Amino acid sequence: MLLENIKLAFNAMRGSKMRTALSLLGIIIGVASVVAILTIGESASKSITESIAIGGLDMVSIYPASGQRSTGIFDEAFSDMLKSDVEGIQAVLPQNSSNARIRNGKESMNASVAGVLSTYGSALNLEFSEGEFFSAIDNINRRQVIVLGSSIAEELFPDQVVVGQYVSLFRNQAKSYLVVGVLESKDASLSLSFNNTVFIPYNTYSQRFIRTSGVGSYTVKVADGYDTIAVSDDITEYLDNIVGTDGYSIFSPASLAEMAEQITGTFSSFLALIAAISLLVGGIGIMNIMLVSVAERTKEIGVRKALGASPNVIRGQFLVEALTLTVLGGLLGIALGSLISYAATNMLDWSLHLSYTSFILAMGFSMFVGIFFGWYPAMKASRLDPIEALNYE
Amino acid sequence: MAESVIRLEDVTRYYLMGEFIVKALDGVSIDIKRGEFTAIMGPSGSGKSTMMNLIGCLDTPTSGYIDIDGENTAGMNEAELAYIRNQKVGFVFQQFNLLGKLTALENVITPLLYAGVVSRERKQMAIHALERVGLSDRMDHRPNELSGGQKQRVAIARALVNNPTILLADEPTGALDTKTGNQIMELFEELNSEGRTVVLVTHDRDLGMRCHRQIHLRDGKVEA
Repeated sequence: MLLENIKLAFNAMRGSKMRTALSLLGIIIGVASVVAILTIGESASKSITESIAIGGLDMVSIYPASGQRSTGIFDEAFSDMLKSDVEGIQAVLPQNSSNARIRNGKESMNASVAGVLSTYGSALNLEFSEGEFFSAIDNINRRQVIVLGSSIAEELFPDQVVVGQYVSLFRNQAKSYLVVGVLESKDASLSLSFNNTVFIPYNTYSQRFIRTSGVGSYTVKVADGYDTIAVSDDITEYLDNIVGTDGYSIFSPASLAEMAEQITGTFSSFLALIAAISLLVGGIGIMNIMLVSVAERTKEIGVRKALGASPNVIRGQFLVEALTLTVLGGLLGIALGSLISYAATNMLDWSLHLSYTSFILAMGFSMFVGIFFGWYPAMKASRLDPIEALNYE
Repeated sequence: MAESVIRLEDVTRYYLMGEFIVKALDGVSIDIKRGEFTAIMGPSGSGKSTMMNLIGCLDTPTSGYIDIDGENTAGMNEAELAYIRNQKVGFVFQQFNLLGKLTALENVITPLLYAGVVSRERKQMAIHALERVGLSDRMDHRPNELSGGQKQRVAIARALVNNPTILLADEPTGALDTKTGNQIMELFEELNSEGRTVVLVTHDRDLGMRCHRQIHLRDGKVEA
């Protein structure tokens, strides 16, 4: 019976192609916009997250407020304290940094200089095009060794082997820093650009450039199996108790990613809601064509009733017809929406993440629209008086 | 004596036309036995159509009782009446009333859909019915590809396919030329001789006299 009803529905559509196409268009546009908005939204969210993730989603950065640096607890010992007091931390890496001029003879450029421990390289999974990160011995002995970001290496030593060369830092004219490693080029993350950064041993930096025991910032690496945001929250609570909310600031790519995801999610849900309204308008189009269809086929309804179709059967026939229309519109809409998403993400250079949830959502909603707006015309058909319907010309 | 298949007892059917009550049928009692070939005759406005609609369960009486094949139809709801129409009555109309978008075969299958017959049997039964009316070579044609006589044969096949108790024909030759009409009439006679109860509604005297029994209506009453 269902199969016959679907066949009848297609028969009816063939009978009035233009009218069918126009009312389908309402559903197609509605479904396509829901699918496109949700898919593009999800793709946007994913690509934002991906670019944030370059900085390491298992990292949390802590920046002491300027007043705390010399007097407060933010010194090298803080690293061990934090690690032992807060669960889920693999390493706490102190870091000092500033901007400086880096030179190779006449070639010079601005760079961010970071004084870090030898474990920094492996903690951040840094990759090298040449050489390697400096060692713990380099740090203990305050050696003048340096690791260059890829842009800096290219600028200062175009087309040369860089490891083994010397550069100078700050106003120092002598080329005193031995290059031990060059980083692989890496996309910029929101927190720092590795390509324009140079790394020297933490102790070397302290001795040469600040001569205090204060620490500029800490990079916390979260241990495997722990949620970065949860650990970040624990650190926040811990620090609030020690130095107060004003004593430091904290930043984690993961919480930023979460926030970005929330914003794009809310935004695209809101847009999808508007698109859903257009689907509702499409539903009114379906109701319109179904009412016309019932009126046009009054005689047919009369004949069917004479042949023994009960009101339920007639209602079923027209409901299936409305549903067939909306399901067809839904399928075409999903195809169109995916196509639009593909074009849009391609243009914006994002990776396409088809939102299957939106497929199901849009399909479900358009079927609901079919039943909702098909109900009244179908009821009307089922209640026709058989004699009047038979005599209708 | 054979059992009754159509029994009307003091049936009235009144319509309200503006402020006037029209007594389309006014206290009619008839009794039609199984296997009878009956003509319901009368001029237009005599109540023929009303009576056909009542016998065919397309309409319900204002008062009185109607039994179809032993079942009292009084108080039946729409769905129950639809079941009686499907199982007990085969309609043949003057204007054929075939479904234009369906083939001859699909038209004949339609009552079987409503009867809930399974797909494979439906086709067999419909082919059989079309063979019975001599149209097995036109099964895949749509109504607009058939002549008037062929259309009426499809309609008769459709009326027969569910093996109804009663074949109810409303001016079945009215839209056909004399020769074709005669052939259709012969088909009804044949079906009756096979034991089918046939009720023919007509205003045509010659046609009516070919039936074995005539019920004359005038002004909503049966003429003696």
